Amino acid sequence: MHKVEFEQLDETLYHEKLENGLEVFILPKKGFSKTFATFTTKYGSIDNHFVPRGEKEAVKVPDGIAHFLEHKMFEKEEGDIFQQFSKQGASANAYTSFTRTAYLFSATAQVNENIETLLDFVQEPYFTEQTVEKEKGIIAQEITMYDDQPDWRLYFGIIENMYKNHPVKIDIAGTVDSIQDITAEHLYTCYNTFYHPSNMVLFVVGAVDPEGMMKLVKENQGRKTFEDVEEIERIFPEEPLEVAIKERVLNMSVQKPKVFVGIKPEKMDLQGEEMLKHELAAELAFELLFGRTSDFYHHAYEKNWIDESYSFDYSLENGFGYAIIGSDTAEPETLAAEIKHTIANAVEKWPFGQADLDRMRRKKIGFFLRALNSPEYIANQFTRYTFNGMNLFDVVPTLEQIEVADLQKAFSLVSAESQQSVFSILPPEKKEAQ
Amino acid sequence: MFETIRLAKGVNVHVNETTQFKTVNISIKFKDKLSKEKASARSILANVLQHSNEVYPSHTALRMVLDDLYGTSLYMDSSKRGNEHIVSLNVETVNDQYLSEEGVLEKVLNLMYLVLFKPNTEHGLFKESIFLREKNAVKERIESIFDDKTRYAQQRMMDLALPEHPASIPANGSIGEVEKITNEKLMEEYRTMIESNEVEIYAVGDVKPELIADYIRNYFHFTDREKPVAAPSMELKKPSQPRVAEFEDMKQGKLHMAFFSPVTFRDEKFPVMQLLNGVFGGYAHSKLFVNIREKESMAYYVSSSYSSQFGLMFVLAGIDGKLEEKAVKLILEQLEEVKKGNITDVEFGQTKALLTNQLTEALDSARGQIDIYDQYMELTEDFEPDYLISRWNKITKEDIADAAKQLSLEMTYFLSGKESEIDA
Repeated sequence: MHKVEFEQLDETLYHEKLENGLEVFILPKKGFSKTFATFTTKYGSIDNHFVPRGEKEAVKVPDGIAHFLEHKMFEKEEGDIFQQFSKQGASANAYTSFTRTAYLFSATAQVNENIETLLDFVQEPYFTEQTVEKEKGIIAQEITMYDDQPDWRLYFGIIENMYKNHPVKIDIAGTVDSIQDITAEHLYTCYNTFYHPSNMVLFVVGAVDPEGMMKLVKENQGRKTFEDVEEIERIFPEEPLEVAIKERVLNMSVQKPKVFVGIKPEKMDLQGEEMLKHELAAELAFELLFGRTSDFYHHAYEKNWIDESYSFDYSLENGFGYAIIGSDTAEPETLAAEIKHTIANAVEKWPFGQADLDRMRRKKIGFFLRALNSPEYIANQFTRYTFNGMNLFDVVPTLEQIEVADLQKAFSLVSAESQQSVFSILPPEKKEAQ
Repeated sequence: MFETIRLAKGVNVHVNETTQFKTVNISIKFKDKLSKEKASARSILANVLQHSNEVYPSHTALRMVLDDLYGTSLYMDSSKRGNEHIVSLNVETVNDQYLSEEGVLEKVLNLMYLVLFKPNTEHGLFKESIFLREKNAVKERIESIFDDKTRYAQQRMMDLALPEHPASIPANGSIGEVEKITNEKLMEEYRTMIESNEVEIYAVGDVKPELIADYIRNYFHFTDREKPVAAPSMELKKPSQPRVAEFEDMKQGKLHMAFFSPVTFRDEKFPVMQLLNGVFGGYAHSKLFVNIREKESMAYYVSSSYSSQFGLMFVLAGIDGKLEEKAVKLILEQLEEVKKGNITDVEFGQTKALLTNQLTEALDSARGQIDIYDQYMELTEDFEPDYLISRWNKITKEDIADAAKQLSLEMTYFLSGKESEIDA
């Protein structure tokens, strides 16, 4: 077991890669009562075209299958695994994102039993046609619930605008129609391909004894047999740099219009240190340009173009990414134009210097240290970083190295007019009173 | 957990000195009696005070100082508990130990002082442009509830079931009352808050209780004040319409049910209600989840919650618009099971285990510690998890069944898009 100390942060991380390929990380937190664990596979909604384990031909699977599989992992022949966690005093949950499926629990007692339950239920699939059919009603209600949430529709609307071919444009849960095609056989195909331990990470953080925990995990894994480690072949379509749709409007029941401007980044194949540096630099640049101390924010707030719902976000994964800026607003067109204008101005004349960078850097370091109070943040983010060849604990040293030129360079990849798109949600046109 | 130092009558500092966190959290809570008007005025006030102040007269200037202080977070919010309205000033700042700089905490305390005592004023009133902008912001916040159909349905049900009752008054007030607030009225509310509200100050982190208390004593000048007499809970009156259906342009049906219970937070039997809620619908092992979601595949979410301040139990479910009747029937059948005492040992044990986990876990965050301590202060001087855990362990299944028998269904509210579907 490797032990890495991060003296400046007062944290110690334990790590081992097991024989079956599983990466295990343990981070003890002083003074905490709870233990939080995530067991995550590098498999999300975008992985819908791949060569199944043991086969030669690539297959395409129905939209929403990774999320469907996540739901079905909880059902076993002997019953619902939530019941088992509850008996052991643990709150369990799971989520599916574009790139990951994570199973997790938090517990303040019976941590060893709960870790065994977590490892066992994720490594013992049980799917039948009957249980798959039964789940369709539940997931259809989940999809319908999201369909009624304007903020979710806004988020997916802008992603659909930006991407022409990449599966990131498909809703994570699929559609009520697409999930009807899912069969138990599909689930086994996806499971066997993506749930091999070599494609997974276990992260345990909180009130935990690292030696004892590592021993427990190794013994648990040692009792099971797995197939050999194999490279997974995923197929992604060509994606042009320019956005698929420049502008689109959706009408739905909202009290005030909503608008998002999305920008699709150039160079989405970064990994490791290069990705970390670019991601942090781009985040700093967007924070300076659109954050709460920016000229843009000040101006837009005073003019009433934005309200408390205003947000901006920069996100990058292997193969896709986006910057998104927007708000609920009475003037969606003006706001979108102002956002684009602000970007164009920064492209023409870069407005930030060393003092700006230093201030944002301090803010970012503070945010990171605050986040280290949260076991949930550490486990989820560390796993995301690991899947992209980065180390979460490199954030502060990397921030310290970044220079103004790096911000400008990162921003230049996420700023061209052809990479921008606008999506708005407007209240339905009022019908004339009869 | 917390050490309490009294600064004046009605003004206390509570400090938990701990190295568990990398940050220091401080909250200053101002408590007043809840009314729609108060809630509306105090929500605007919270926004105006956190916007800027005499020393940092623009939003940008204040936010830049916070960025420089390693991204210290500072915000004010409005909340309510029972008959109380609470305005809180919350900050979180990184412990100096992790920084290459000292004295950050003092600078942060000084900023808190400026936010509360040196507001951005002109001619004895709040700066008019800021007042108008923030008044509008609160109005828009209230309006935005409509876009979240679950919150909107819950608010509609409360307005219909218990109009003008504290249980239905939103922490941000109402649009009508917000519109009526003038700058003069807001200044009056500000003085009341600073001069006569009960003040509870919390700090969690690697800090000395005396240091925090001294700083506040020396700079903040909080004088003696009366603790608002906890008004007796208003009686819950039977709603005039027990069943209401409304329609909006939407796909899913939102079913909300309200039950009355005579047992509230101050009642000896309060922990029984927590167990009842857990067995009935609070968790993924509960009767509602297992039977209505897992067995019937009718819903993605179906759960119950207990609002202890007023003795209200809510059931919420997202279902197909055509299935209201069936869902109501199934939910009431599950409640009937609890009333009959048909509770398995497993359900009973799971509920106690999860309540215990939830409580212990909440204390692993500084904000959780502050919220729980502040809430239970009324019942016990030094809250420890065992205060509740030992009570849960004495409860029997019969106690739960008895508490369930006292529940009465007072309102069923259903929001759906049914009507528009028929139109089309």
